[in-house]
Amino acid sequence: MNHDEAARLMGPYRDGELDLSTCLKLEEHLAQCPACRQKMAGEQELTDLVRAEMPRFEPSPFLKTRIQARLREQRPAPKVTSSWNPMALAWTYSSLAVAALVILAVAVFWQQQIPQLDQEAVANHVRSLQVNHLMDVASTDQHTVKPWFAGKLDYSPPVVDLTSSGYPLIGGRLDVLDHRNVAAIIYQRRKHYINLFIWPSDTESLYGRLYNQNGYHALGWTKSGMNYLAVSELGEKEFRDFVQMIQDQTAVTRPGE
Amino acid sequence: MVEQHRDAGGTPDFEQIFLPHLDAAYNLARWLLRNDQDAEDAVQEAYMRAYKAFARFRGGDGKAWFMTILRNVCYTMIKKSRGHETPEPFDEEIHQPMGEPEMQEAFRRKANAESLHVALEKLPDEFREVIVLHDLEGLAYKEIADVVGIPIGTVMSRLARARGRLRAEIVASNDKEFPS
Repeated sequence: MNHDEAARLMGPYRDGELDLSTCLKLEEHLAQCPACRQKMAGEQELTDLVRAEMPRFEPSPFLKTRIQARLREQRPAPKVTSSWNPMALAWTYSSLAVAALVILAVAVFWQQQIPQLDQEAVANHVRSLQVNHLMDVASTDQHTVKPWFAGKLDYSPPVVDLTSSGYPLIGGRLDVLDHRNVAAIIYQRRKHYINLFIWPSDTESLYGRLYNQNGYHALGWTKSGMNYLAVSELGEKEFRDFVQMIQDQTAVTRPGE
Repeated sequence: MVEQHRDAGGTPDFEQIFLPHLDAAYNLARWLLRNDQDAEDAVQEAYMRAYKAFARFRGGDGKAWFMTILRNVCYTMIKKSRGHETPEPFDEEIHQPMGEPEMQEAFRRKANAESLHVALEKLPDEFREVIVLHDLEGLAYKEIADVVGIPIGTVMSRLARARGRLRAEIVASNDKEFPS
């Protein structure tokens, strides 16, 4: 190894970017070349100075908030704006404070409207698929599933079968939602599962608003004294169809039960 | 609080992947654009662009992907604002090569935060950025190559030239004020 080559490799050597054999060759050269050793020591002094004295600029804490607000503005309908337009940026900038307030208001409103119920239900749904504990009672027969809950719950959840509509009933499970035992009725749509949680609506009513989280949908409603909360990873259209069918069927079957 | 309710209209995946790189992005933008306001604008713009291009993100190194976008935004801004200015030429008169022992002696005398800062300001942007990316942000050569869009060999030589020039500027800068 000559001096020029050694000089070229010193930076990468100190940066830990050399492979082992090149490292060894360079070290071998350095061991017998005082001039190159001195050169490397000199370069190291610069690196030490840079590491010690070159400031890392930190953004204002509001920058992150502003960016999040702008990202959230984008979400409902990603607009195609010109790539770099100072005027547009200035406009956005001026409306940013307003946007942030709106976001905050929406977030607070949302928090009041949806407690952790939807999130909890989605978590239950995901867990039911993960831990291989989808069903406590596996049956495609509503007259098997429904009685299974007797003695386990202090109410009798309506169980309907939607096999003819392409959403076969496949079983039931006891689950916990909002600190109480609830019935989970499981339906299948192709490879997807739907958990339908049912419990008496004695303390609160659900209001039929779609909740989305990481590709999961949740929708709750209250009917004839029961709260229903459906959760699935199904596409929104099929998920809404399912909800509609359950709503129709429970209206029909409930009086007879 | 807002973060806990990402679905109030947030972008959970995007934010989880890219918001952690906010500090690194701001630091690079600040070093390239030299003032707070421009740096903030550039970072915001980069997030908007990244968001629109998110569908094309194929996983992997989110930091390099995002820093590439940020860097493009910065250079567009630089072109717009000082396209007509020519960078100060590197004065060969002042930067006469000197022997390593003299160089080190002069460097030790002058090495301090201020001289470093002045010297960094004088560096061309493409030199300053590799030093920021490597020495401040800790990016490996490969990552710098991805961000800047040059081969690893070029990263290596550019970093070496940037450091050589920085060192020479530190040694030379004070000489102007205090000729020996």
